[in-house]
Amino acid sequence: MNTRVIGRLVAKDCSLMRVPIALYTAAAFSGLMLAARGGTACRGAGITLALNVLIGVSFHVMLVPVLGERERKTLAFVMSLPVTPGDAAVAKMLGSFVLFLIPASVAATALVFLSPVDVFSAMAASDRSVLSHLAGWAGYYGVVLGAWLAFFSVVLAAAIVSESVGWTIAVLSVLVFVFGNFVLQVAPTLGWVGRYVRDLARGGTALPVTLAVETAAVALVVAVMLRLQGRKTSFV
Amino acid sequence: MSDLPIRVRSVLKRFPQFTLQGIDLDVPRGRVLGLIGPNGAGKSTLLRILMGLVRADSGDVAILGRPMPADERWIKARVGFVSEDMALYGGKTLRWHMDLVASVHEGWDERRAAELLLRLDLNPDQKARGMSRGQQVKALLVLALARRAEVLILDEPTAGLDPLVRHELMQSLAGSRDERQAIVFSSHHGEDVSALADDVVFLHAGRIIANAPVAEFIGGGRSLESAFLERVSGLSAGRAA
Repeated sequence: MNTRVIGRLVAKDCSLMRVPIALYTAAAFSGLMLAARGGTACRGAGITLALNVLIGVSFHVMLVPVLGERERKTLAFVMSLPVTPGDAAVAKMLGSFVLFLIPASVAATALVFLSPVDVFSAMAASDRSVLSHLAGWAGYYGVVLGAWLAFFSVVLAAAIVSESVGWTIAVLSVLVFVFGNFVLQVAPTLGWVGRYVRDLARGGTALPVTLAVETAAVALVVAVMLRLQGRKTSFV
Repeated sequence: MSDLPIRVRSVLKRFPQFTLQGIDLDVPRGRVLGLIGPNGAGKSTLLRILMGLVRADSGDVAILGRPMPADERWIKARVGFVSEDMALYGGKTLRWHMDLVASVHEGWDERRAAELLLRLDLNPDQKARGMSRGQQVKALLVLALARRAEVLILDEPTAGLDPLVRHELMQSLAGSRDERQAIVFSSHHGEDVSALADDVVFLHAGRIIANAPVAEFIGGGRSLESAFLERVSGLSAGRAA
């Protein structure tokens, strides 16, 4: 891997996407402010806005810097730089993660208001140390953003390898169908899921296990992506 | 240093509708090779294989003595590539593109870039979106030439350009040939090839039908186009017989 060139390609994508990412981040902050203001209407609007940011930025990052390179004929320019297809794919994946994580971190904070418990009041009333609270937040961000990243990385890898909107939508649809049905229909019937969620909320063993599984899932997706990228025969 | 900056042996590339086959090619040091052929003859595919943008199904390609695609990164650091199918990022200036290329190419020469900008009448602060096709091609050429590439690969660089810009571009290429080990370019314009190239390859239906010094094809009022057409009709007559 040519880390210097990969770093430059990540910086290139960040520079190209700086205006939309700034707007998504501003929208996520607005969502957070609304949700924090209280009241059913404001809270609902804030959470909806935060969810829109998560979905919008995921699609935007897939369509413009990933799938858009070929369509705009800039892929040939990138591939004429001293990079291998593997370097280019890793740069795309990393760049997309960076672009996604900036507004998504803010949006994820707004989603805390989905909790039936008033997290901020509970924190104020608690006698735990500041470090303990910070660790709790880090765990929360890790689990929520890690899950989204693991999901996102599968669709991103499909976009990078296939360079096709059709295939990307197909992979996304299958994932949404499988996970959606699992979460809405299967999970509530499984006893271990309830125990797992309670343990996760307490910051028990489920937390590091979840973080490890998410990290392993992303690593596996990247490894499969690199393998498939190595079998491709055209890069323009 | 290799005496054959570009060496191609038995390259085959199959597509559903088209096959590039039996490609053997040597470009000795200091030579300029022009590729001539109709649309769909395989010129772009061949140049993309040389640049590693398309992988051949079989055969060997060596650039500057190194195998492509095994040493792809090393080769790309020493080869400048411009294609009609290549575009700059519309919302970004030429300066932004120059900074990007300079940051990944050790051989980038800022003084040479400034000379080229002046010579090709380009404004580095202009966004690519506001450039004409001719200006975009000239900008791509600045990015390829200012990195002091040892080999230049150009796919139809003059396609769609007005005669004045085409002339400027060919002059810039002619002016840069002494700095390179080899230049390979494709063109629909026989006069561009005869003006710049030492050798010419005629490609037809995915095969090389002639490969010789330009001087062997032109002269006595004969152009490269007419020489190409003669070869093609000779092939057709041979098949009919």
